[in-house]
Amino acid sequence: MNAIEVQNLCHRYKGKSVYEDLSFSVPRGSVCGLLGKNGQGKTTLVNILMGFLKPVSGRCLVLGENSHNLSPSLRKRVGLLHEGHQAYEFMTIAQTETFFSRWYPDWNRDIFYDLVNRMGLSPGHKIRQMSCGQRSQVVLGVIMAQNPDLLILDDYSMGLDAGYRRLFLDVLHDFVAAGDKTVFVTSHIVQDLEQLVDTLLFLDQGRITQTPLKDFMTSFKKFTFTAEKGQVLQKDTVITGLEQRGNRITLYTYGEMDDLKSHLAGLGIRPKDLQQSPMSLEDGFIGLMGKY
Amino acid sequence: MWQSLFMKEWLKLRWYFTAAFLVHLGAALKILLDIRQIILMEHGEMVWYQAIHLHTLFYGPLRYLPLITGLVLAAAQFMPEVSGRRMRISLHLPMDQNRMLFLCLLAGLFHLGVLAVLDLLLTAAILLWYFPHELALASLPTLLPWINAGFIAYLGAVHLLLEPSWPRRVFYALVFTALSSLHFAGSGYGWLTPALPFFLLLSPLALLGVLDTGRRFRQGGVS
Repeated sequence: MNAIEVQNLCHRYKGKSVYEDLSFSVPRGSVCGLLGKNGQGKTTLVNILMGFLKPVSGRCLVLGENSHNLSPSLRKRVGLLHEGHQAYEFMTIAQTETFFSRWYPDWNRDIFYDLVNRMGLSPGHKIRQMSCGQRSQVVLGVIMAQNPDLLILDDYSMGLDAGYRRLFLDVLHDFVAAGDKTVFVTSHIVQDLEQLVDTLLFLDQGRITQTPLKDFMTSFKKFTFTAEKGQVLQKDTVITGLEQRGNRITLYTYGEMDDLKSHLAGLGIRPKDLQQSPMSLEDGFIGLMGKY
Repeated sequence: MWQSLFMKEWLKLRWYFTAAFLVHLGAALKILLDIRQIILMEHGEMVWYQAIHLHTLFYGPLRYLPLITGLVLAAAQFMPEVSGRRMRISLHLPMDQNRMLFLCLLAGLFHLGVLAVLDLLLTAAILLWYFPHELALASLPTLLPWINAGFIAYLGAVHLLLEPSWPRRVFYALVFTALSSLHFAGSGYGWLTPALPFFLLLSPLALLGVLDTGRRFRQGGVS
């Protein structure tokens, strides 16, 4: 059973196509990271999934319901973190807890205050007077205390320093470990997702590629070498991604070392010190999607 | 859950409502002092002549007050929701979205209603203190269009704040400005009383219109 199912999704914004025939699914119990460069439509996709935008065509199911018309009982099962950690800024911490606790039958006050008390702020502290990181803790507390079946996090890392990001990841790890929970997350700090997700969705120019993290990190490879002076490489069917700083070249490919060697030879390139280098998810992301 | 929603609306409105309450009390005090001064300064016949023959309305300070209050309360209630599209937080709550918006509007209209009742009671009480009850009660139908203009202004402002499309915003601004200004046409006691039933119909219609604007807000293009 899939927690999220998108079939043949098409969407346009101001006459420009955002997606054409987008299809993917997020199985229940998985942690799925949606990656894409800025402006590729990650937030738009989250907005469509939550019914805040109506797509031109296609079908989106969230926990089996049409995303365009999610019932209140289903919304109760979905924890949603809006881009920018949006919260009611006119409320205090205690008012936020009181407000949200009445909407969710499984609300766990202890979880909320466990997360919020780490900041050492009084319950009467106004959300408006908090830093982005502090606000993110309150929002995280709200969605965790709901005990949702599906978590949708739209760029949770926005504006957070390393400490708050790590805290977020710790909480998400514990949440997933509780079992049968699904997380759909977008983040512009790609590296963080390496510690969290089991499935990757790459969104690029309206097309989506879905792959298990493990498969991607083993099949996609990073090679480095020094080229002869003046030699310039181009992307092609073997070379998926390329970074060149002076004569030092980093390239990304799904091929093996031997395939690459013969391919480079065919191009008339004589690589010096060609070696496979350790690849982080961020490296892989740049290798696959490009820098801009 | 509706108690929770009302708590949220109260948190946004409380300071603005308190300030509005004090301003409305101040307006009533001004009416009282103005009438008292006229009676002290002028002969009784002159006051009577002004009231009966010239149709002088002694409660002029209330003329635009409900309208301004309606605009302020709408802004206080909905600006925090539309800035950064924070209303998506409310729209994700487990409640029918139309019902949720309707309850939010009801909370705003209730606060506006409390101020309207305050205006009517205080004005009637002040006029009854100084004038025969026929004249005092004649003030109520004269005040009602001004009060209704406050409700229309409130609902119009909510339309403008929630509406995602600029052409529609301009259209709503024109329509609600025209509708509000109708409530201030003419002068004298009960000038608009024959039109009052039609005016009172406008608020429920505008209320239903907000639900449609709310639907467009939910689906309003965020890339």
